[in-house]
Amino acid sequence: MSFPDEGILRRLIAFFAALGLGVAAYIAIAEAGGDAPACLAGGAGCQTVSESSYSHVAGIDIAVLGIVGYALLLATAFFATDGVRLAGFLLALVGFGYSVFLTYLEIFKIEAICQWCVASAVLMTILFLLSATRLIGYGGTDPEFAHES
Amino acid sequence: MKADSDRRQRLLQIAAGAVFLAVALVLVLVVVSSSGGGDGGDTKLEGVAAVNKSLAGYPQEGSVIGKLSAPIEMVEYGDLQCPVCKHYAEDILPPILEKQVKQGVVKVDFRYMTIIGKESIAAGAAAHAAGLQHRSWNFIEIFYRNQGEENSGYAGDDDFLEAVAKAAGVKDLEKWNEDREGLDKWVEENQQEAEAVGFSGSPSFTVRGPGSDEELVAVGTPGSTAALEEAIEDVR
Repeated sequence: MSFPDEGILRRLIAFFAALGLGVAAYIAIAEAGGDAPACLAGGAGCQTVSESSYSHVAGIDIAVLGIVGYALLLATAFFATDGVRLAGFLLALVGFGYSVFLTYLEIFKIEAICQWCVASAVLMTILFLLSATRLIGYGGTDPEFAHES
Repeated sequence: MKADSDRRQRLLQIAAGAVFLAVALVLVLVVVSSSGGGDGGDTKLEGVAAVNKSLAGYPQEGSVIGKLSAPIEMVEYGDLQCPVCKHYAEDILPPILEKQVKQGVVKVDFRYMTIIGKESIAAGAAAHAAGLQHRSWNFIEIFYRNQGEENSGYAGDDDFLEAVAKAAGVKDLEKWNEDREGLDKWVEENQQEAEAVGFSGSPSFTVRGPGSDEELVAVGTPGSTAALEEAIEDVR
């Protein structure tokens, strides 16, 4: 089985993680200012989701968790070791799983869709697929890893 | 070649184990999110999403909904246990919120009457504490959607009130709990204020605006959206 060149995968991860970082930062800044992120076409979905108590977990704005997650994923694109490939995959897996749950909340509990949240969920799904491809395709090519473990 | 294959196998074994950790972490996040989340936990509440959706986008400050700079102020004196007030919240007021309040012409201040019983004081204090986190109208309307028998114990029940607060989107429940402790007196003063205007039944309304030279006009219980709109027009 052939995989895309790891350099391309790393560039794609950096690109999508940077986009995700921008989306999460926009949501966090809007909410910190007491507003909600602006939904395109003037829908109220972003406001409804932002004002829901689900927008915070243990008192922390979920967008802030997103910033941390995307920043770490962005960092994984700059290193090509097995430890980083594995960490990137696990981070993206957690982000992907949590995004699925948040999308479920939007549809079935909050009953409103925030376009920015959907954008983030799509980006996290792409990052999960890229990180999984990177780990499966290039994991084990780092001699240091076997030596250390 | 064999070394590469061994390394790869070892890494994928570690990855498989770590996947369990990652899944466990997601489950922890899901549980924590759900416990703080907005459907009221074990208390089943009706109409939460519909209320929160309909009020999204309205500025709220304390017990006031609408822009504070709106030229016309309408005050509603209501009792959260009162079925007629529930009818007003669901059928009479929405067109006014949708038109005059949304356009920034009217702001509505909800004050608490407590004529039905002592539980109304606890409920009013809880609602105003939600207002200190800009959620009093969400609280009031969700409360109405889940209104029970008068003085049956539900309206002052901590679990019920907390479920309504969560569902209304109150983010800091600890602060909400602390705040509501000290608000009984404020709610009782609202009742005295209503009596001073001459009101004895709920809901009762007052309006004031440029058309009344900012003098308060006692509207009472108008009975329809049209009558309330007429009262607003008179002070415009």
